[in-house]
Amino acid sequence: MIVNRLIEKVMRKAQGAQAYLEQSESTNVSFENDKLKSVRSSQSTGMGVKVIVDGKIGSSHTTDIDDVDGVVGRALEAAEFGSPAHFRFPSPQEGPDVKVYDGAVLRVTKEEMVRIGEEMMTLVKGYNPDILLSAEAGRGVSKSHFVNSAGIEFLTETTSFAAGVNGQWIRGTDILWAGHGFGWKKREIDHVEIAKKAIELFKMAERIAQIRSGDMPVIFTPEGMNVFLLALRLGFNGKNVFLGSSPLAGKLGEKISDDTFAIIDNPLLDYASGSGTYDGEGVPHQVTPLIEYGIVKNFLYDLDTAGRAGKKTTGNGVGCNPTNLVIKEGGTPYEEMVKNTKEGLLVHDVLGLGQGNPISGEFSVNVQLGYKIENGEIVGRVKDVMLAGNTYEALKRIVAIGDKAEWAGGSLLAPPIQIARLSVVAK
Amino acid sequence: MRERMEKALRKGDAEYTEIRIESVTSSWVNFRGEDLDSIGSSKTLGGIVRALVKGGWGYATFNDLSDLETRVREACESARLVGKEESTFAEVETVVDEIPATLEKDFRQISLSEKRSVIEEYNKIILGYHDKIETSNVGYRDSFRKVWYSNSEGSYIQDERPDIGVGISATAREDDNVQRGFENVAGGAGFQIIEGLQEKAEAAARRSVDLLSASPVTGGKYTIIINPRLAGVFAHEAFGHLSESDLVYENERMKELMVLGKRLGPDILNIIDDGTIMAQRGTHRYDDEGVKTRKNYLIKDGILVGRLHSRETAAKMGEKPTGNARAVGYQHQPIVRMTNTYIDKGDATFEDMIKDVGLGLYAIDMVGGQTSMEMFTFSAAYGYMVRDGKIAELVRDVVLTGNVFETLMNIDTIGDTVELPPVGGGCGKGGQSPLPVGLGGPYVRIQNVVVGGRQQ
Repeated sequence: MIVNRLIEKVMRKAQGAQAYLEQSESTNVSFENDKLKSVRSSQSTGMGVKVIVDGKIGSSHTTDIDDVDGVVGRALEAAEFGSPAHFRFPSPQEGPDVKVYDGAVLRVTKEEMVRIGEEMMTLVKGYNPDILLSAEAGRGVSKSHFVNSAGIEFLTETTSFAAGVNGQWIRGTDILWAGHGFGWKKREIDHVEIAKKAIELFKMAERIAQIRSGDMPVIFTPEGMNVFLLALRLGFNGKNVFLGSSPLAGKLGEKISDDTFAIIDNPLLDYASGSGTYDGEGVPHQVTPLIEYGIVKNFLYDLDTAGRAGKKTTGNGVGCNPTNLVIKEGGTPYEEMVKNTKEGLLVHDVLGLGQGNPISGEFSVNVQLGYKIENGEIVGRVKDVMLAGNTYEALKRIVAIGDKAEWAGGSLLAPPIQIARLSVVAK
Repeated sequence: MRERMEKALRKGDAEYTEIRIESVTSSWVNFRGEDLDSIGSSKTLGGIVRALVKGGWGYATFNDLSDLETRVREACESARLVGKEESTFAEVETVVDEIPATLEKDFRQISLSEKRSVIEEYNKIILGYHDKIETSNVGYRDSFRKVWYSNSEGSYIQDERPDIGVGISATAREDDNVQRGFENVAGGAGFQIIEGLQEKAEAAARRSVDLLSASPVTGGKYTIIINPRLAGVFAHEAFGHLSESDLVYENERMKELMVLGKRLGPDILNIIDDGTIMAQRGTHRYDDEGVKTRKNYLIKDGILVGRLHSRETAAKMGEKPTGNARAVGYQHQPIVRMTNTYIDKGDATFEDMIKDVGLGLYAIDMVGGQTSMEMFTFSAAYGYMVRDGKIAELVRDVVLTGNVFETLMNIDTIGDTVELPPVGGGCGKGGQSPLPVGLGGPYVRIQNVVVGGRQQ
């Protein structure tokens, strides 16, 4: 096999190495402006190697399967000037069972994906023919072969499937965008439910509601939780913690949020987008609690960062990033949260996330899709509204957590959460 | 390559077929804090076939070049599955051309170790600037893209597209207060543009420390003055995306909203997209459909006079192609994109702009921007309050937002010098990111802009 040959070649100069070869195929159908626009088929190849030579790291990758000598040469050259290694390539360890392959995905034809798109569009058009629609469905399969010089060798085959529908509704100069989609490693996706969710978002937006500037309670839908997750992803990244750029550095064991808030990194959920048996360094995946009862429990590490920080890898290599984030459910039904709100905001999607100083937790975003709550009811969509605050302060002021978590994309499972007050600036 | 591509194209049975193949060699060096975070180089090779049948498109992307003919057939078959009406595709001149890159200092000839030592120096400047500097992030990257384009109409173009850049970021910290200062430089140019940036490294470090004692801006409505870099983001985000015809051509409501001849701004406002400006990141001789780029007026004297097209959108709207069909790489089909977008100069000096402002905000540089067409938001790196006609205290967390149609009308003063700063990063649209673009303008003053932030 080509990967074993890569390892053999680099090990003439290197003291340790890992290599991979990934080959993928995917097919997508895409609808634009209410009609089928294109069908795409993709074939892709990726091959890479990482070496440690005289204690220094070098790496390189290519898409050309015949470029074995090139990729070996570039990795060895990079190692000459590379950063010092703080780890050794790991030896084989038994990994957990997690499902990442569904044969049903491969049996989906282009025609069936066209039908899925058409059905989603027909449903949304049935609600309102004035909404201009786009839709997508796609499937993929990927094979990867991973080998390192310490004896790890495995083959992984994963599948993926996704569907979504988006619409644009223009009234005068008012342009409303809304839509819904979902993707994971399994064929089983209820596209009718996706269309219904999109319709619901449009329905709530039929009226435009005026909102005043000031502090008010804000409910975040599972999708809306991304406003906070950006800071948490950066904050729990072991490299940012080690370098001190994370505001959570030095806060292990400290309370940073309301007692009711808990979040874990879970790569062992069957078929979730971030799931798998091993991470990108051949380390078995594991469940890592990040916040429990409001207390910082762990940060995420890969091999090198763990080595530098004197910690153990959490199987989040390479890059110390989360796999799938799961926020623990609370005890309040979503409907009750809305009903108990006299005046407030429901946030589903924002514009401009991450433009400010995201690692500090500060956010100041335009509410792209959000709704006003008045006397316990959603009364319409808000426009030209900015929402500002700090993630870490907001998480201390949680008033309610939904009793039902939902997927928001393929790697976030979260309930809606209500914050006591955030600053809203309206025109 | 030409012969191989033309041979494969002859296997196509679509109304129109094209092949684009790209080889990209790239290298990078990144320091975070005291340590080298990563260094390396890579090589990618891949391509895309695009076929048109009865208005439907088929795409086939690949890394394996050994069987081009199969990819051509695959794309044609997909297009036939999609096509149900008549194709509209604007006629353009057939071209055969070769565009070699001319680099003053070719970054492909410079060793990784030399790239590393240039970056390491900037990193050291930041870390040694002040004891409140917590960490740094200094990254270098270059890529040399060679593009082969061939279509069934007989066009063949061989283009070389270099891109190089450095991002310099300093992080200062005082207890829980973490602030960043950054600078970047990028261009379709040689290694020389990223040398001699010691002052920029120091400026980034100084700003991160200064921002520690700055207050967040108080949310509300202000008269704002934006600097050239931010004026470029404004032209691109707030307005530019609306002029991309793929968002308009099959959308009756948008057509009404964006009808040519409509007044969108004051007489003094001119916005231009120009893919021909030397060494800008959005510059190419041809777009990714083989159409020559040009200077396109979008707004002239406050009136909407033009928009950006691909061959498909131009034909559908009965307008001329503008050379704006661009793809971020071989894995993507070309879609309508901006090249280098700027606000043209007016006649005011910076002094003129601030002297009669009672309470305002001078917003500088950008962190980013995003739009949902009608609403936009963009973030300044930092700003100063303007009080009684004078620049006052430094403020942070400056995010500007608004409705494009109202905000364009609220522009009341335009500066007398256009700058096109060599910015890094890029634009994202339709899953294609980051596409190198150029941005710029003069200083611009806008009335009644909503600034996000907490209220006092």
